[in-house]
Amino acid sequence: MVKRRFRWLAAGSALVALTAAAALTASAYGGGKAGSGIIIDGTTDTVVNIDPANEYDYGSFTVDLLIFQGLFGFPHGAKLEPVLATGCTHSKDLKTWTCQLRHGVKFSDGTPMTSADVKYSFDRVQKIKGDQGIWTLLTYLKSTTTKGPYTVVFHLSHPDSIWPYILSTNAGYVVEKSKFPANAIVPNTDVKDLVGTGPYVLSKYTPGQQAVFTPNKYYWGPKPKNSGVIINYFSKSSTMKLALQQGNLDMAFRTFTPTEITAMKKTKGLVVHSGPGVDIRYLVFNVKRPPFNNINVRRAIAYLIPRQDIATRVYHGTVKPLYSMVPKGLPGQIDAYKMLYGASPNLAKAKAAMKAAKVKIPLPITIWWTPSHYGDASADEYVEIQRALNASKLFKVTLKSAEWAQYSGALGKTYGAFQLGWFPDYPDADDYTVSFYQPNAFYNIGYNNKQMDKLILKERAAGNEKLRLKYLRAMQLLGAKTLPTIPYWQGTMIAVSRSNVNGIDSTLDAAYYMRFWLISKS
Amino acid sequence: MAGTSLRTYLVTRLALVVPMVLILLTLVFLLMRVAPGNPIEAALGGHVPVSAIKQIEHRLGFDKPLLTQYGNYLWDIMRGNFGRTITDNRPLSQIIAQNGAATLELTFFAMLVAVGVGVVVGLVAGRFRDTPLDVFGRLFGIVVYATPVFFLGLMAQLVFGVWLGWLPTSDQASPITQALLQTHTNIYFVDAIWDRNWPALWDVTKHLILPATTLGLATAGIFIRLIRVNVIRTLRDDYIEAARARGIVERRVVFRHAFKNALVPVITVVGLNLALLLGGAVLTETTFNWPGIGHELVLYLENRDYTAVQGIIVVFALVVVAVSVLVDFLNAYVDPRIRY
Repeated sequence: MVKRRFRWLAAGSALVALTAAAALTASAYGGGKAGSGIIIDGTTDTVVNIDPANEYDYGSFTVDLLIFQGLFGFPHGAKLEPVLATGCTHSKDLKTWTCQLRHGVKFSDGTPMTSADVKYSFDRVQKIKGDQGIWTLLTYLKSTTTKGPYTVVFHLSHPDSIWPYILSTNAGYVVEKSKFPANAIVPNTDVKDLVGTGPYVLSKYTPGQQAVFTPNKYYWGPKPKNSGVIINYFSKSSTMKLALQQGNLDMAFRTFTPTEITAMKKTKGLVVHSGPGVDIRYLVFNVKRPPFNNINVRRAIAYLIPRQDIATRVYHGTVKPLYSMVPKGLPGQIDAYKMLYGASPNLAKAKAAMKAAKVKIPLPITIWWTPSHYGDASADEYVEIQRALNASKLFKVTLKSAEWAQYSGALGKTYGAFQLGWFPDYPDADDYTVSFYQPNAFYNIGYNNKQMDKLILKERAAGNEKLRLKYLRAMQLLGAKTLPTIPYWQGTMIAVSRSNVNGIDSTLDAAYYMRFWLISKS
Repeated sequence: MAGTSLRTYLVTRLALVVPMVLILLTLVFLLMRVAPGNPIEAALGGHVPVSAIKQIEHRLGFDKPLLTQYGNYLWDIMRGNFGRTITDNRPLSQIIAQNGAATLELTFFAMLVAVGVGVVVGLVAGRFRDTPLDVFGRLFGIVVYATPVFFLGLMAQLVFGVWLGWLPTSDQASPITQALLQTHTNIYFVDAIWDRNWPALWDVTKHLILPATTLGLATAGIFIRLIRVNVIRTLRDDYIEAARARGIVERRVVFRHAFKNALVPVITVVGLNLALLLGGAVLTETTFNWPGIGHELVLYLENRDYTAVQGIIVVFALVVVAVSVLVDFLNAYVDPRIRY
């Protein structure tokens, strides 16, 4: 009996000692607190493909931005600058672009970058035609040739004044030809093959969980201000917020709900950083489908959209009213919708438009939205629109919703009026106009305006920036007049960090790049 | 004769697995395709021209007749080729190995909690029937059983993570531990022991506590009620009366005699509740950002990723079926009356 009791006592003591030892040594890990100099970021984005030849979503782009580069980019703000190129010249017809490469650039395995790698990268994207669709950005590229190790020539099928912007997208990211197969995508977990010229190396990737970056010792540019980056992936922003509050993250970028952002503004130890955003939200009409085929019906809605209510009541000031398909801050932007329809709802003009429309009043209409793809606030956003239109007594709005997988396939095919959002391929007014106003645009709304088509061709063939911006302004005005869409808000770029994190504000601009290499901790 | 009978029983049970899994595969295949939308539209719709989407759909065979797609799908499964996910190009085998391991880790510890709590509370409730202890035990069992697991999880995060600040509220481990830990089995608890990395082990254990306890408690309710009833019934048996009549102390009667016999039916229930646990794991994993296979299933379902959803559900089905067959076999081995 005594022996048995002693045995229990001994076991109990050993357990206590073990627990104490573990607890003491656990202090080395600080219960999950960040290691010195490493920035730990949280995000609700997901990564689809890291290989730039098949990458076309923001989560994958964030990873690629740290390890790859293109001939052009936005290293210092929203102004397009040469990165791997030192500059490009073009033929008079804007169909041939000759770019000089920067000397002395090496990939992260020490291999020098040459024009052969650049040609290979573009050929590869066009050959693979990945199912994420990034190759569609290179639709105008007929062929890529080289002239020596530091000159690349792009031959286009159409004049394209914005070709340097295309070179800044991930369709133009340069990969090492010996590492990337010509006709297959490199799997995300093959980190040793995901070799680029960027400031970091992807040293570990656990799908759905974590991406770990260490500084690239061969990087040609300025050294990062930190000793590495870890991006942790979350499926819910509420869990990410808790992790940030508990100190398990240094920062979080994309995407908190407006309510969470408001709460974190009042949380001690956290700082909410915001800067110009480039994502927009807009209402789309199928201009062939009644009653939206009636321009006066669309005008009446344009007069009634409650932009300020949406920005304040739904988004708590984290978005700004938008009066053009082009977000404010981009060159060439004009508030075309404000010029034509006013800054705030105008009931008298809406009534006049409906009178001219010669339709039954209140006019029953259905507006579609999607619950999760654009964030939880979409429901409230459309309730505000419904409220404003119904309150005018000119419309009787029925709201309907469908999950994104169904919604994205239906769009203009099935819906007369519907919600969409837009995030640019490149931060230029061209991507906010041509994408929507060209014939056979992606959303199938039957919009076809000859005058707009001419403006698009002129803009793409414009020989200088001043002329190009002139055409872009004309496109915005015409778009506002013909109303295939009504924009209503522009987002802000928001990141939340612990108070000891520095440098985030320097990377919040209309380029919408999270330049982790500028971020440090004190 | 008895040996032959057990073999026949086992073979028959195994043979029944094939049509069961085939029916499930077919149902999942049809349900995914009947639901509107497809993974390409989900990924590229609203951004890429329709013509490009159609090209990609054609390349992936989504425009083929349903029967052809079904035939190709079955043929791939038979060759053990579960394919790659459409949305993020991951091999199904990698998802099963990596995320399946995370779910295994969570469900194992959750089952320990469920059995541990269930047995203790059930035993006490049964032993002290109709006393405050019994009332508490039964009430506790009903409350944890009836409370949705995600709500339990949220409350646990709020109390222990936010208010008290004792425990982490998400993930399998802290970011630094995750970054530095060598993965041998993808079960972080085992990997930390494998490397004798004690700080990592402690970190992983802390991260396990809330999700495992949440999921375990949600299942414990069943065990509490079952064990309580069995203990009460067993304590009424003649041999227990005989033991008491022989002057054996009550504690020994309960623990040495009644308790062991009361536990026998629980073995069956533990196995069958694995299905419940896997279902609950989906919600728990989402609440705690636990990177298990259920968490991935939700994400792939949202994106209509046919390959991923079909593959994961097949894995779920095979696991549940395997456990069910094992439990039936054990029961048949122990009790010959159960055999065919």
